[in-house]
Amino acid sequence: MANEKSFMKALKCRECGHEYPLAATHVCEFDFGPLEVVYDYEAIRGSLTRASIESRAKNMWRYRELLPVAGEPTVGNQVGYTTLVKADRLAKRLGIRELWIKNDAVNYPTLSFKDRVVSVALSRAVELGFTTVACASTGNLANSVAANAAAAGLKAYVFIPADLEHGKVINSLVYGANVIGIKGHYDEVNRLCAEIAGKYGWAFVNVNMRPYYAEGSKSMGFEIQEQLGWRIPQHTVIPMASGSLLTKIHKSYQEFSKLGLVSNTKWKIHGAQATGCNPISAAQKQGLDFFKPVKPNTIAKSLAIGTPADGFYSLRVMKETGGHSDDVSDDEIREGIKLLAECEGIFAETAGGVTVGVAKKLIASGKIPAEDSAVLCITGNGLKTLDAVVNSVGQTREIRPSLREFEGLLETEDAACKA
Amino acid sequence: MPTKPKKTAKSAKAVAAPKHQNTRLWLMYPPKKITEPIIWQISQKFKVVTNVRQASVTGEIGIVCLELSGLRPEVKATIKWLVGLGISVEPVEISVVES
Ligand SMILES: Cc1ncc(COP(=O)(O)O)c(C=O)c1O
Ligand SMILES: [Zn+2]
Repeated sequence: MANEKSFMKALKCRECGHEYPLAATHVCEFDFGPLEVVYDYEAIRGSLTRASIESRAKNMWRYRELLPVAGEPTVGNQVGYTTLVKADRLAKRLGIRELWIKNDAVNYPTLSFKDRVVSVALSRAVELGFTTVACASTGNLANSVAANAAAAGLKAYVFIPADLEHGKVINSLVYGANVIGIKGHYDEVNRLCAEIAGKYGWAFVNVNMRPYYAEGSKSMGFEIQEQLGWRIPQHTVIPMASGSLLTKIHKSYQEFSKLGLVSNTKWKIHGAQATGCNPISAAQKQGLDFFKPVKPNTIAKSLAIGTPADGFYSLRVMKETGGHSDDVSDDEIREGIKLLAECEGIFAETAGGVTVGVAKKLIASGKIPAEDSAVLCITGNGLKTLDAVVNSVGQTREIRPSLREFEGLLETEDAACKA
Repeated sequence: MPTKPKKTAKSAKAVAAPKHQNTRLWLMYPPKKITEPIIWQISQKFKVVTNVRQASVTGEIGIVCLELSGLRPEVKATIKWLVGLGISVEPVEISVVES
């Protein structure tokens, strides 16, 4: 992949279409709309083929022409290309012909899909000359920025709400990141982080680097298509916080079909949320094209964004593709986590429980037809949210070091099973 | 890249005159506030310049994208007043703190 050529053309406002240079900037000067990277697809067509992709290393950068870096990426050379698991046992339980799990619970190095977006943001930050990176996060993003910055030799600042559980902070502190706890309500913390991002000359991954950062999520969609044997899945179920991942997986399907890497078959994009924070799914179910902000109250902390920045665009994607959305309660989330673990041996965090729970509902209601094929995006690891399931996974049974006691235990179990 | 400027104890400037700033916000109004002339009230109550960049109003929500320019204490007071009215005030990026 000795390709030093940039395939990016410009940053472009999603609202008015005004174009901007490829700098660390994220908002249109006119209407404050978000900026997005646009590419030179003609040039990409000449460089990116199934054969060229298959000849490259198995990580997210094998689709480098469609990712926003100008030269060779410097961060994330081990990230991505997670397994796509054919989930026959779960398919049977959910009542669908064919089911696949895209398993980013084991993404490298911090066990969530955020390593994809962070790899892109940091690679681009290095290209633009930054030496300090930052983010505001309550979990996965903080872990990923801290780890990837450490490996790349960049200085990292991580802003968190001061009342965040200590366990979640260790996963950032261990990498030597500067972790700053901000006291106050979520809204105040949020506004201050935006201010800090605007004031210091840092690469704030989800603020001034956001146009690049968000593109990293496309790699999950590129991999799904390649791993399915170069085709677009009929149905994809995606967890939504800001809604960015959902819009970018859709974009990945559009790009591969535009480039002729897959045939342009119909696909439906479905969004999953927790009932305790469902601004997007509530709007989708009511047929609205805007959402109403909510105050989150759910065990799915990684999806707890009450005012989703890409909510409007997610609703549009679901509408355009004929997809649906639903949400699940905390109990259904726990049940989803257990179902995935027991059927497929995959332990997902609460966001995964949301995705499985919502897929179950969409299949049961026929919104995903039983004779179809679906992919579920599992985006984070269960070891990060042990608290959520600690009381719902059963208990160990204890015996003294005596064979007789063990046999007695098996006998009572046998009897209980027969009863 | 520029890093945080070093503050010296003698730099009186840091404590003196408040700085001018431009703050870009999304305001989301609940239905009962939609008909109130909030932006006009801002300019009556606070020494800030308001500059609307986008707006959309339905029966269920009013969304206004606004730039506030003025001295930092005035901008902060304006935001506090808006929040007190039950209007959700988000930075232009909306959700900066993510998981
Ligand atoms: C585990 C996990 N899944 C899904 C998401 C959703 O991401 P997005 O904000 O792109 O909708 C997040 C976001 O923080 C996450 O941490
Ligand atoms: Zn614009």
